[in-house]
Amino acid sequence: MAEQRDLILVGGGHNGLVAAFYLAKAGFKPLIIEHRDKPGGVAITEEFHPGFRCSTLAHSAGPIRPDIVRDMRLEKHGLKLITPEVGTVAFSPDGRALVLYNDVSKAAQEIANFSQRDAAQYPELQQALAKIGKVLAGTLRRSPPNIDDPSKGDLWAMLQTGRAIRKLGKKDMYRLLRWGPMAVADLAAEFFETELLRATIAARGIFGTAFGPWSAGSSLVLLIRAAGDSHPAGSAYFAVGGMGAVTQAMSAAAQQAGAEIRSGLEVIEVRIKEGAATGVVLSTGEEINAKAVISNADPKRTLLKLVDPTHLSPDFVQRLQHYRMPGTVAKVNLALSGLPNFTALNGQSNSALAGRIHIGPEIDYLERAFDEAKYGNFSRQPYLEIAIPSVTDPSLAPEGKHVMSVYMQYAPYKLKDSNWDKERVALGDTVVKTLAQYAPNLPELIVHHQIITPQDLEDNFGLTGGHIFHGELSLDQFFTMRPLLDWARYRTPIRNLYLCGSGTHPGAGLTGGSGANAAREIVRDLRK
Amino acid sequence: MSNGSKYDVIVIGGGHNGLVNAAYLAKAGKKVVVLERRHVLGGAAVTEEIFPGFKFSVCSYVVSLLRPEIIRDLDLPRHGLEILPLDGTFTPMPNGDYLWRVNDHGKTRREIARHSKVDAEAYEEFGKAMQAMCRFVKPMLAMVPPDPATLNPRELMKLLSVGRRFQAMPSEDKYNQVQLMTMSAADFLDQWFETDVLKATMSASGIIGTFLGVRSPGTAYVLLHHYMGEIDGAFRSWGFARGGTGAISESIAEAAKEAGAEIRTKAPTSKIIMKNGKAKGVVLQNGDEIYADIVSSSVDPRHTFIEFMEPGQLPDEFVEEVRRYKFRGSSGKVNLALDALPDFKCLKGPGEHLRGAISISPSVDYMERAYDDAKYGNFSRRPYVDIVIPSLTDPSVAPPGKHVMSCFVQYAPYKLHPGSNWDEQREAFGNNVIDTISEYAPNLKKLVLDKQVLTPLDLEREFGLSEGNIFQGELSLEQLFFLRPVPGWAQYRTPIKNLYMCGSATHPGGGIMGANGRLAALEILKDFKGAA
Repeated sequence: MAEQRDLILVGGGHNGLVAAFYLAKAGFKPLIIEHRDKPGGVAITEEFHPGFRCSTLAHSAGPIRPDIVRDMRLEKHGLKLITPEVGTVAFSPDGRALVLYNDVSKAAQEIANFSQRDAAQYPELQQALAKIGKVLAGTLRRSPPNIDDPSKGDLWAMLQTGRAIRKLGKKDMYRLLRWGPMAVADLAAEFFETELLRATIAARGIFGTAFGPWSAGSSLVLLIRAAGDSHPAGSAYFAVGGMGAVTQAMSAAAQQAGAEIRSGLEVIEVRIKEGAATGVVLSTGEEINAKAVISNADPKRTLLKLVDPTHLSPDFVQRLQHYRMPGTVAKVNLALSGLPNFTALNGQSNSALAGRIHIGPEIDYLERAFDEAKYGNFSRQPYLEIAIPSVTDPSLAPEGKHVMSVYMQYAPYKLKDSNWDKERVALGDTVVKTLAQYAPNLPELIVHHQIITPQDLEDNFGLTGGHIFHGELSLDQFFTMRPLLDWARYRTPIRNLYLCGSGTHPGAGLTGGSGANAAREIVRDLRK
Repeated sequence: MSNGSKYDVIVIGGGHNGLVNAAYLAKAGKKVVVLERRHVLGGAAVTEEIFPGFKFSVCSYVVSLLRPEIIRDLDLPRHGLEILPLDGTFTPMPNGDYLWRVNDHGKTRREIARHSKVDAEAYEEFGKAMQAMCRFVKPMLAMVPPDPATLNPRELMKLLSVGRRFQAMPSEDKYNQVQLMTMSAADFLDQWFETDVLKATMSASGIIGTFLGVRSPGTAYVLLHHYMGEIDGAFRSWGFARGGTGAISESIAEAAKEAGAEIRTKAPTSKIIMKNGKAKGVVLQNGDEIYADIVSSSVDPRHTFIEFMEPGQLPDEFVEEVRRYKFRGSSGKVNLALDALPDFKCLKGPGEHLRGAISISPSVDYMERAYDDAKYGNFSRRPYVDIVIPSLTDPSVAPPGKHVMSCFVQYAPYKLHPGSNWDEQREAFGNNVIDTISEYAPNLKKLVLDKQVLTPLDLEREFGLSEGNIFQGELSLEQLFFLRPVPGWAQYRTPIKNLYMCGSATHPGGGIMGANGRLAALEILKDFKGAA
């Protein structure tokens, strides 16, 4: 006799936890089933070497949507956010450092060392992003409208969006329309002449995607991210204890609200009767029934693996197979015996290392890194997105020692004539070699390293194709098209089966947006 | 000398759009004069006898999208327009095989089946899907773009109607439409086909005239243009004009003259005459001043607003937008006079396969690598080449037994990397094209009697195409529809009263469509009425 539950959430990633919280708040009793030993998905902290703890994957939040932080009272549940005053520091091979403070005027002063003109332009872009970002934030908070027959609510929402866009005024409205489909390299060039600054900002339009800075549509990725944080190059949103602390606080909030979490259990099938989900089957063979099943897993894993495709129309299955999830990032975490010496900082205060570190000095550098991936090789001169969280949170490493978290791009999931087991070591070496060009003493500081390839991302974290955002952030997979046109409202062709992960609108990054939006729609349905 | 003489409209530039614009205005009874800089009409749609006996469609070489309503309204066949069919596309492959698609569906189906049975099936479906898409897009090509920023209800209704028509489409079509507008040609075709050479050749149409690669988002849309013709019914859009592409311009010019338009060649404009904020006429480079109520410019925005006008005559923000407008020429042209027909290794001898387009596009990676070269300021070491031999279909363009071969070459970036320039690279560029084709047709080198190499720089100098962009500005999403050429100024009007745009830099963009010239004329006539 199968156990009967109210709601089941497949996967306890941050979106699953957020969704569970809101569902519990609404009076439901969600049960989260997480296949790893603890919830958190891609936002976890692990001890990867005795005494050294690091955010295994994500090392900076999106940031989390403020209303979610408030509703879940994450601070009260132990979350201590760290937002260093340096958002990003970028290094050039000729030994110069560009320090971008969150304080726009301070950032402008730094930029002035490179170009007076750019220094003057920087606030202009920041303000434009703030205005446009505000409009987008509204759209990201709403569920995409039903195009075929929009409800009154949809029409109202569209009207609101229309109004908000008009409020921008002609100039910024046209910017929004023009920038959306543009290449982020062009956007950066419209404002700045300094190559290092251009590249640092452009990076925000390509991180985690199969785009290069010259790919049309990469600007939209930047705009979407600007909806949560209008600093052109983005800021750093760390947490004491690493990203795991974020999802721990979320777990606590969800549990307090009435959700239950079971870890170390894998869902292998969603049970379906007469076109409706009735429960799940675990790897143990155990069955749990529920009113509804909500999947935090990516759309392909959920609907092509956990669901028997015979329950879906061939047309739907084909569309979903075409949903693009080409993973392009790998992760290298380093345990260091000391703080690396970046030539550009020549020993002066390490405060510059408190935020995110960008390696990728020129647009062409980033584009060439991308070129290699197009033909199935990983970049030999990769773009690196780095954090040394132990600078602001010493608790992560033994006294005087440090942990370095490195996102490496581009590392294509599909390698041309090799596989990731063969290339794992080469990947690690490439990252260290690249870093050594900017911090020559890094190699001798390395106590231990952890290398996570796109293959590992799929095998150990359930990310199909190793895609950290559950699907490419391209124009054709945004908003009403995420994951598929007609199915962007968290529902699926199977009754009582819902999606709440990054593969749904708005998707991009650690914001909790998908989970919160999904919960709202699910509550609406279940209350009918 | 027509100093001070008074016209209703001056049309700057005698390209196909300028001529269409003039023809429609003249037919409406306006007194029109067309001012062409060069000694021949046609702009980029021109035929010239480059070498004795050899007539070339120097730039544009096939009739692609000439609007049927224009052909009807201006009665172009009566004015000498004759379109000869351009049948099929032949793609030689390095492995000695080839892909040869023709208009005969059965044949093409069997041919594709040689490469992949699945693709042969998909090809039919694809064609149907594309035609459904065309039905949605075509009206937009014939429509003055709405302005989303105004509060004018008429404009908003137009926007709404586009939305409504989208909403009315079956889900399958919606899905395809959205993908077409946003995806890369390569990604889009990957969903339909498995044969690399087929995808490569089809994707080529998505990149022509843009500085984008087949894997760049936004390139899928242009795939549609290849299917537009199919639903024009009786009149097939793809073909040659007898006598070369210039014959199209000639026939339009005839129509314009018949309607009373005056057309002057060797009449280069130097400035637009302004009086208290309004356009009053133009000054020619020889100092002649010509006055008119309205000036309609078919040349690109850089010439119109930066060269022909004084700083301060336009709002700064507008000038800023014009400077930002992307040209970025990415293609060149190599015209060859041949002693005989080239012989392709993979399909020997002269044959039907030489009568259509011959496409050097063996694989998607080949196309993408060609783009990679250009991104860093080099011409493609192995470029995409689109070849036609019009003399096979229209013997009048070459001496008996001899042939003209027109090679459209991409990529050839206008801006070469520092330390290199086109005047030095021209020869190398031309030879590289011949070498590339020779890999498939080894006898070509021996056959070349003469060659004309047009780099992007030459296109700029000779034809006034800024940065050598054949479409008067990139056809990228952010420069289409109500964003072309400048957001807020997509309705053929400009910030200057009585000054209009009617060239390819306006909606619906480049290609020998004529729609721009026509739509601009209709807007101008509207304003005449309003003023009257």
